[in-house]
Amino acid sequence: MGDPTETAAQAELQAELPVESPATVLEWRIVAAALVCVGRWGVTKTTLEDVAREAGCSRATIYRVFSGGKAAVLQAALRSETRRLRAELAASAGAADTLEDALVAGTVTVTRFLEGSEALNYLLAHEPDVVLPHVAFGRLDWVFALAARYAEPYLTPFLPLEEVGAAAEWITRVVLSFALNPSPAIHLADEDRARAFARTYLVPALGVPSLGDPAVVDPAPLSQGSARTNRS
Amino acid sequence: MSGEPRDRVLAATVECAGRVGLSYITVDEVARASGLSRATVYRWFPGGRDQLVDEAVTWEVGRFLNDLATAVAGAPDLATRLTLALHLGHRAIDDHEVLQSLLRTEPGLLLGHLQATIPLAAAVVRDELAALLASEPVREGVDVQEAAEYLSRLFLSLIADPGRWDLDDLAATGRLVRERLLAGILVSSPPGV
Repeated sequence: MGDPTETAAQAELQAELPVESPATVLEWRIVAAALVCVGRWGVTKTTLEDVAREAGCSRATIYRVFSGGKAAVLQAALRSETRRLRAELAASAGAADTLEDALVAGTVTVTRFLEGSEALNYLLAHEPDVVLPHVAFGRLDWVFALAARYAEPYLTPFLPLEEVGAAAEWITRVVLSFALNPSPAIHLADEDRARAFARTYLVPALGVPSLGDPAVVDPAPLSQGSARTNRS
Repeated sequence: MSGEPRDRVLAATVECAGRVGLSYITVDEVARASGLSRATVYRWFPGGRDQLVDEAVTWEVGRFLNDLATAVAGAPDLATRLTLALHLGHRAIDDHEVLQSLLRTEPGLLLGHLQATIPLAAAVVRDELAALLASEPVREGVDVQEAAEYLSRLFLSLIADPGRWDLDDLAATGRLVRERLLAGILVSSPPGV
């Protein structure tokens, strides 16, 4: 599309990647060092010397492993982070018995992952121009596609296939919104909070087949549905 | 341009941003475009260029939300209002020439500024929705403030990037609002827009 923000990293993330990456110990050490450096100094200021020092190897060694230099190391770091997220999702959402469980596991796991990423937090605070163009105004397609692929195994037991993408997109919107603009009232890394949130808003929005007559479907089997007009 | 000097200066800043980009805005240029003197611009914005850009982004976001609220004010209920606001809001973003031009030329810089105004924008939308929810049949156990916050976040997310939802299609948008957005919040959703 000639979009200047469409980076090679995005393109690579969209391609199907093996879950098990045959990373060598050295590769892993370099990638981990790069993440530490980005969490400390950001993307622009981090140099290969910094990464080499942190990894305890030489610049030449990094070039031997990543011939593309800094850009290749950063790409590998991003890939390794998405693999880690995928593994954490498998551990939490893989055990879900209900749609609610799966939605809670997804929101809690991704929220904690984003909050715990020092590299991402540094970038959002100090180099937002590195991150935001990839997640704003019509640029979210790649994130939604990634989310759908990651969520699919955990949502298909509870949802018809055509609803899986919609559900993954919905959760992505919620998690991203709270990650980029944290709420003092709603903290989705807290499992009890996330469960109440999923039960009230997410399950009714995502758990019903939206086909058919909306008037006869009660989308909230969890609530007993007694009416009240709120005065506040 | 007419109106209060402050609004005139901010409107001129937005207009200049579309023409020359955020990086190249100067106080002189804004003064010329607003038909005011340099001294007057500095009287209102002693921080000069940087203050102008900061405040113009916030001002334009506020104007955008205000125009949208006005456009949907006649809607009979929350579902209809949300449907229209999604439909018109998304279209207004697509048609916003300054926004679209800066997203092409200086996305990082613009989004950094926008990001700073998002908490304020989200709070404005949340409070508006909370007031509307007060006269709707809310489900037992639903906290109005929390529901309003949830709705405001989904609303802003959807107008900024509709993803799979066709917000140009009013009927489809109506279903999105009734069957998903409001599904857990309101007791019953009257069919049809």
